[in-house]
Amino acid sequence: MLRLGTRKLLDRSFTGMGVLSIVLLAAALLILLAPICLRGISAYVFQGTVEFRRVALEKFQRGDREELKREQAAAARARQPVFAALAAFKKDLDAMPFAERKKYKTDFAAVQDAVKDLLGPLPGEEAPLLMRSQYGQTRWDRAQVKIQQVLFAEDYDFSGGGLGRKVLKPRLEKFRGTKLEPLFAAIEKNASEMLRPQWTFYGRFLTDASHDAHFFGGIGPEVLGTLYLTLGAILFAVPMGVIAAIYLVEYARENRLVRVLRVCISTLAGVPSIVFGLFGLAFFINAAHLSENKSVLAGSLTLGLLILPTIIRASEEALRAVPATYKQAALSLGAGQWHAVRSVILPAALPGILTGVIISMGRAAGETAPIIFTAAVSVGKPLTLLQTFTQPTPALPWNIYNLCSEHVAVDEIRHVQYGMVFSLVLLVLLLNLAAIIVRARISRKLRT
Amino acid sequence: MKKQILIAGLMALSLTAAQAAGDPKKIVVDGSTTVGPIAKAFAEYYMKAHPDVNITVSESGSGNGAKGIINGACDVGTLSRAMKTEELEAAKGKKRNPVQHTIAFDGLAVVVHPSNPVQSLSKDQLRDIFTGEIKSWQEVGGPNLKIVVISRDTNSGTYETFHEQVTKAGRITDRAEYVGSNGAVRQRVQSTPAAIGYVGLAFTEGLKPVTINGIEATPENVLAKKYPISRGLFMYTAGEPAAGTALGDYVNLYKAADGKKLVAEQGFVPVQ
Repeated sequence: MLRLGTRKLLDRSFTGMGVLSIVLLAAALLILLAPICLRGISAYVFQGTVEFRRVALEKFQRGDREELKREQAAAARARQPVFAALAAFKKDLDAMPFAERKKYKTDFAAVQDAVKDLLGPLPGEEAPLLMRSQYGQTRWDRAQVKIQQVLFAEDYDFSGGGLGRKVLKPRLEKFRGTKLEPLFAAIEKNASEMLRPQWTFYGRFLTDASHDAHFFGGIGPEVLGTLYLTLGAILFAVPMGVIAAIYLVEYARENRLVRVLRVCISTLAGVPSIVFGLFGLAFFINAAHLSENKSVLAGSLTLGLLILPTIIRASEEALRAVPATYKQAALSLGAGQWHAVRSVILPAALPGILTGVIISMGRAAGETAPIIFTAAVSVGKPLTLLQTFTQPTPALPWNIYNLCSEHVAVDEIRHVQYGMVFSLVLLVLLLNLAAIIVRARISRKLRT
Repeated sequence: MKKQILIAGLMALSLTAAQAAGDPKKIVVDGSTTVGPIAKAFAEYYMKAHPDVNITVSESGSGNGAKGIINGACDVGTLSRAMKTEELEAAKGKKRNPVQHTIAFDGLAVVVHPSNPVQSLSKDQLRDIFTGEIKSWQEVGGPNLKIVVISRDTNSGTYETFHEQVTKAGRITDRAEYVGSNGAVRQRVQSTPAAIGYVGLAFTEGLKPVTINGIEATPENVLAKKYPISRGLFMYTAGEPAAGTALGDYVNLYKAADGKKLVAEQGFVPVQ
């Protein structure tokens, strides 16, 4: 027998631990979600430059043509001194004797490239084919980085021995006294006139197609692909899972076979997702020839298999939780087994089953490994419903990985990557929210 | 009644799906991460003129590009090495005839962190670094730091090229770290001052390429055959694609002036 005081103390310390763990959980969630949201939002809300509005008009037919023309003219006036300085120095450079020319050549090329990165192709230059070289910086935050690159050369100081120290050398020093000198002051002072940043809300980021391997545009094909894959998986796994659960709970006799089956299902739930991915490739594509290459169909089925055990287990629990008296009452009124299941037990278990479906849906939307070999590609068009049977699609989870590890210019398009992560999290939340509302409706209906 | 409609609907759906299976309006490209940027640029260029064609590109390594051609899982396999004899035989065994298209040339830039004072290496020093004979940067004129060797995985054509032309009979050291793409090598070297790795010419942004035998890793030097580690970049198709089809036009884009420009603008060497 514990004394009353001790019991109270134990009780209180347990409450304290509970509160602490919830606070820790909330903090972890905040630490995780806050950067995702803050950085992710920067894909939607940012300071867009005149180049951004050019892309919007030329590639997406959005915006006011006349207004843009005026803006471009103003920007061109501000840029003129920069281009003039480049042209004048180039002329001087060509006239210099070889030894002197050599002194400036690489540095001048670097300045010229940096200016092109910032403002787009130089006037009179042959138009480049890659879209990323056709436009200047579309975002003011990226433009700022490029301005730094025009003004400063990144160099390393090896005088201390060992590893070098990074030093920023103003490029101006190298070109002092030449015709290029005014360029640096112009860029430093007038960059905002040259690019005219404006706060922009780019809501269509979610639905726009991407241009030039995600350099421009949005993540429409990825979002659509993720929706297809998730819905496909649910369409496949929910009927199968619920039917299997009904059989296991209502029809199967408790014998060894059923017990083994249950163990199998639990084991299946613990199989790593990459194994499902490889299985999907080997079975659906290589053996069954469901489609001749990766396709949304094969990916959906693989994801469906992945979430099947969760749905079976959740449905089983929900069905078991229906009081036995319901079934007895139905049967005593003369209903057959199937009738009782369909009209009494299943509706009562529906909220529980839906919980399982909601959890699985989030999982299916976010899984990467099962779709690497069965459905996902780096770039592709948004698909129509029919094309999903035969064609692969970009999908958010895979493209997030692809952008951060395989893309040529990871640092240039971080905002797209952050935007994808944010959108995926948002998408899963919305899917869940929708399902939760549906579930609440159904259980309210049941009670009345 | 409802059931019948449902069944009819399902049948119609599967019928149209079967029809769509023979759809010539899609091209599936898979393979090398090095060729990826070219394949993507070609795809964008081609689809702009032909909006009804969907070209999907994925980058899962040259090995997978070859497998895709053998299994028929892709229409175009991109490789940063030539197909091996075993692979060619495996494809022939499945009645597929891989046709090679050399779309560009590329050098392997040997890259270090920009804070590393080492500017140049000889090919022999490079081999010794990757086989583990040379363990510290001090032995090649750098600081007293243990060298972190970053290599590509064995599925990679870049790895095969490096193995064939640099390490040859030698085995890459057990201390090497293997990563899955050019981009991953770049990021690993960018964040590790003592690291050394090798990537395609287009992936050197933010890194310092060292000269090999005194030759800089530039498209010009690769073209002039001066740079000692170089290779062709390939697209493979099963059988020669007919001219005038989407597949034929896409694969042969490298011969056109615009195709060459797209290759050059990304830092690769177009074919002459």
